[in-house]
Amino acid sequence: MTPDVFLFWFLALLIVGSGLAVLLFTNPVYSALSLAMTMVGVAAIFITLNAYFIAGVQLIVYAGAVMVLFVMVIMLFDIKSEVQAFTSGKISGAMKLIAVGLLSGLIVGGIIMGQKSFVGELSKDAAAQVAEANSAKMKRAAGADAATKELGVALFTKHIFGFEALGVLLTAIAVGTVALARSRGGTHAK
Amino acid sequence: MGHDSFEITINCIKLVLIFLMMVQAVPILVWVERRGSAFIQNRFGPNRVGPLGLLQLLADAVKFLTKEDFAPDRAIRPLFYAAPVFALIPATLAFAAIPMSVPLEIGEYVFKIQGYDMNVGIVFILGVSSLAAYTILMAGWGSASKFSLLGALRASAQVISYELALGLSIVGVILLFGTFNLTEMVIAQQGPLTFRAFGHTISSQFLPNWGIFYQPLAAVIFFAATFAESNRLPFDLAEGEAEIVAGFHTEYGGFKMLMFFIGEYGHMMLGSALMIIFFFGGYGIPGVTVADVRQWAAGITDSATQISVITTLVHFLSFMLKFVLFLWIFIWVRWTLPRFRYDQLMDLGWKTMLPWALGNTILTALVIYLIS
Amino acid sequence: MPSSSFLTDISLNHYLILSSVLFVIGMAGVLLRRNVIVILMSLELMLNAVNISFIAFSKFTQNVDGQIMVFFVMTIAAAEAAVGLALAVAIFKRFKEVNIKFFEHLRG
Repeated sequence: MTPDVFLFWFLALLIVGSGLAVLLFTNPVYSALSLAMTMVGVAAIFITLNAYFIAGVQLIVYAGAVMVLFVMVIMLFDIKSEVQAFTSGKISGAMKLIAVGLLSGLIVGGIIMGQKSFVGELSKDAAAQVAEANSAKMKRAAGADAATKELGVALFTKHIFGFEALGVLLTAIAVGTVALARSRGGTHAK
Repeated sequence: MGHDSFEITINCIKLVLIFLMMVQAVPILVWVERRGSAFIQNRFGPNRVGPLGLLQLLADAVKFLTKEDFAPDRAIRPLFYAAPVFALIPATLAFAAIPMSVPLEIGEYVFKIQGYDMNVGIVFILGVSSLAAYTILMAGWGSASKFSLLGALRASAQVISYELALGLSIVGVILLFGTFNLTEMVIAQQGPLTFRAFGHTISSQFLPNWGIFYQPLAAVIFFAATFAESNRLPFDLAEGEAEIVAGFHTEYGGFKMLMFFIGEYGHMMLGSALMIIFFFGGYGIPGVTVADVRQWAAGITDSATQISVITTLVHFLSFMLKFVLFLWIFIWVRWTLPRFRYDQLMDLGWKTMLPWALGNTILTALVIYLIS
Repeated sequence: MPSSSFLTDISLNHYLILSSVLFVIGMAGVLLRRNVIVILMSLELMLNAVNISFIAFSKFTQNVDGQIMVFFVMTIAAAEAAVGLALAVAIFKRFKEVNIKFFEHLRG
């Protein structure tokens, strides 16, 4: 059992466990803290996949900003354990559970059946590619952050339209959020 | 991590040593802070226990350890007890990524004087230290006290706001050096100050090639933002005797309080170390390059191992000197400047520092584009 | 019953299965929970699951485009969280609770 394998199973257990905790805790504060744990685990998974820069961004954006926002809102509302945390209808709840089960079976089945197709070919070549990637990593260690540079070049040349479109979207979101937050009809309006 | 058991062992010991260094520096800093505040504000510092009150540290430790371990009646126990433990993690993880000296070469082994070397060191440090907001929120919520919760919300809002200015002020530095790697930044700052523009090279005689001469505005913004990040005066709005008592650690006492203390001082140390690496040449010595030091050491001894040890020690001393200087500035500022009001704090962060940091980024990018 | 090679050889499939398990957990959260904020958190969980598979594909095909997509997804997720929380705050101000059933008043 190599360290890489151990790391994968450890992180996978951490992610799935804390993900389940998000779903099962009836107190939203615990849910939010478990979600933050999941985010950190996902960032660690990114590091095992050699995406160092993305892992750092995941930590800063998700774990550092978005989740703190969630936790702050929950604490400001002072939401303790909920009276009605889960869906109430017995039949509709059963339907939803069945839907979730069907989807999970479909996805996992699809992945396992797909061994021979595109995914299968990829994972068959994976061993050779990992060896190749390792030799590339050795080269990269000399040239420091070539991977991050490659990422930046791709972002600002090939995907420049998406980048600019996101800029427009973020502006719209900022304006919309301020408008929503300042709307009348709240507890302050008399 | 290493290729054989010797290298792995040394690397593990190194990690432990860095953590111990951080924790052990705290009592000394507390002592300096008390004596310093006494000199600055003309009051009595610790002067009873031992020479210069030095044994006061020991007395403090005994006091912290023997205090009763209590929690408020309505406290949410898991969060209340977990928060102080988590307070140590972000600062420790981030501090381990700081390069403190030139690598040590013993035989064929090369040991870096840093916990781990990452090619995206800055992003990692920013990401890990942004997790500090959780400990504050956990402490505030877990204490089940109004003062704690309000203090925690204040403190975490402040940390998030100033993270923006902090991150943006570093972008100029990253553009300048063209790397995320802290060690490479330090290497880029060696030698005399040199400007290369339009085919001409202007070199200074005595000024070192430090980042502060290229990025003075970023240095100011970064330093101010680190004060806010570590919740220290003049930005310690999380506390306030008249308004919210002691903020998020109102209900903490004894050893749990000490852990928060170590976390705060850890952030202070991280801030000073980053300040040195970005703007003051890291472990470099002004006017002298690493090769010069190595040559000088070669004049003393013949053994390659000893030469390497001497070089590493000299640079470590240089780093420590700058480090202590910046830590003193942190303490000095705390006891001389008045505090802000909370709205002034937010205005400064969002309306002053953020636009200036943004402008600095654009200006740096333009200048680099025009020159190259 | 998983064979021992399933446990010791980490391939693309492992990351995809992890991603799908996380996605299903998120989906169950969206369907089953009634608290708007928890539903938003479950959405973040689903987006994270997608990110894992993007990064895994990016590594195993040696293509950097997957990481760019993750950038975009993260930006969208942050924006979505901001708007969602603003809506939740507006609902909370009105009804003192953030149950999803109050959102039907948004019809106007």
